[in-house]
Amino acid sequence: MENLLKSTSLVQRAYWLVRLRWVAIGMLAIATFVADRFMSIELASSALLTLAALLLVYNFVLYDLLRYWTWGDKEPSERRIGWVLTFQISADLVILTAIVHFSGGIENPFSFFFVFHMILVSVLRSKWQSYLQATSAVILFGGVVTLEGLGVLPHYDLVGFAAHGLYAKPIFVFGFLFVFTVTLYLVVYMTTSISEQLRVQQDGYARANALLEEKDQLKNQYVLRLTHDIKGHLAAIQSCLEIVINGMVGPLTDKQTDMVDRAHRRTVKCMAFITALLKLTRMKLTGQLEMERFSLKNCVFNALAAVQTGARNKSIEVTHAIDSSVDEIPGEAVLIEETLTNLLFNAVKYTPEGGKVSMTVAEEGAFICVTIVDTGIGIPDEALPHVFEEFYRATNARATERDGTGLGLAFAKQVVERHGGQIQVQKNPEIGTTFTFTLPKTLAASLA
Amino acid sequence: MGQGRILIIDDDPDITEAMTVVLAHKGYEIDSAADSSEGMERLKANRPDLIILDVMMRTSQEGFELSRKLKTSAEYKEIPILMLTAVKDKTGLDFKATAGDDAWLPVEEFLDKPVKPDVLLEKVASLIPKS
Repeated sequence: MENLLKSTSLVQRAYWLVRLRWVAIGMLAIATFVADRFMSIELASSALLTLAALLLVYNFVLYDLLRYWTWGDKEPSERRIGWVLTFQISADLVILTAIVHFSGGIENPFSFFFVFHMILVSVLRSKWQSYLQATSAVILFGGVVTLEGLGVLPHYDLVGFAAHGLYAKPIFVFGFLFVFTVTLYLVVYMTTSISEQLRVQQDGYARANALLEEKDQLKNQYVLRLTHDIKGHLAAIQSCLEIVINGMVGPLTDKQTDMVDRAHRRTVKCMAFITALLKLTRMKLTGQLEMERFSLKNCVFNALAAVQTGARNKSIEVTHAIDSSVDEIPGEAVLIEETLTNLLFNAVKYTPEGGKVSMTVAEEGAFICVTIVDTGIGIPDEALPHVFEEFYRATNARATERDGTGLGLAFAKQVVERHGGQIQVQKNPEIGTTFTFTLPKTLAASLA
Repeated sequence: MGQGRILIIDDDPDITEAMTVVLAHKGYEIDSAADSSEGMERLKANRPDLIILDVMMRTSQEGFELSRKLKTSAEYKEIPILMLTAVKDKTGLDFKATAGDDAWLPVEEFLDKPVKPDVLLEKVASLIPKS
């Protein structure tokens, strides 16, 4: 990788340079005005203000170009954005040289500003480009002050600021240019060395990360294979047991029915676990979700209907409030409905008889926010940071429901995050738990 | 008269029921408890000839702790314990039979779950002192 920063952050830097330039233009205009009016320094004001205007136009053009290249979700190529940066820095060098020329040349301490450009190019661009820019700065600035000294170019005196005639003293010009040149090259040398080190480090991290992701995918494939095989056996066991339970192979005594029932129930639980694990692992292995617009409202009603019986059996009051503006959003309806059902089931499961579960669906900017509040047994403080981890189960959850899979919330988190939203859990101040998750209203927002 | 009285302490009702059926079939008298404290109650109420104890109940070492407690009490240390475990590999517990060792597992026998009925019966028979 040639650049320290990735394409997206290079784009950010390009915008950043544009923003800095607005400030520089303002400063130039103000400085010219103040020096001219209040400090009785004689300036070639009209030339400087013309340069400020030029800079303004150039910055507008750049800004529009950047906007055009990054419109919507477009990501310009690293190459292109790199050249935009190079162009910006080169143009800035030319304009800075012109500004310095019209405001006293070598006698103007603003020549220090060349250092900024050297740092920028060294961090943002490659080593050879940085030395190239240092060389052009030396040639531009050195050329202008030399030509001024030789009388080829006019010199604009900073009357009231610097001693007259300094610009024409060869020993001063030579000395100044020597230090100027050494400073620029040293700055480039130091900054590029450090950036290079960072670049190597960053590459290392990127490689390690890629390796970890690869391992994780391997693990997921392994789990998928394994659970799939187990599921086959389980399905066979379950079918055989069901045949016996249903009396299809002859009548059973009560005790026999009881034992087979127990076996069957455990098989069903194991099947639920395996199915949840399969689902979660498949989800982790699939690439892009199939994002189609669907009615969130329908999903919410289906989920509410799914937990109705369970809630009624425990005399739990389930209420809901849905913003009338909530409509279709992009995503996989099946997954969202399952997530909603999961969260509601949990709320009902861990809420004692006579409790309350309430659900609100509201718009919040570019997102839909779903909140599920219960008056349940709550989640212990030490468990809160872990509830979305696979297989994790809080001690009180385990005590309430022995055979939970510990996968429901991990699945919910996967679904929400894959849709570009976020999921959170909070302890209610008095009793119970609140789960909140967001879903983007538009595809653009989900990719942002 | 029965073959002997057995107390099963296991938090899994299906496992308990399955063992009860197997053992009762052979004439043993079965009592059961779902955790340590209930186990202690049953123990006091009805002294068994053998305790079948599950290692991993509410905590992963509940059975382990109960067995130490019993084996260090003057009243119950004579009762043989048959330890059941499905988690030997997972917990990495290193069972040792010598007292004083940190990993001392003070039980007479232990079996991995699932336990085959004939193996269970054989072990139980060998542990219950013949009167």
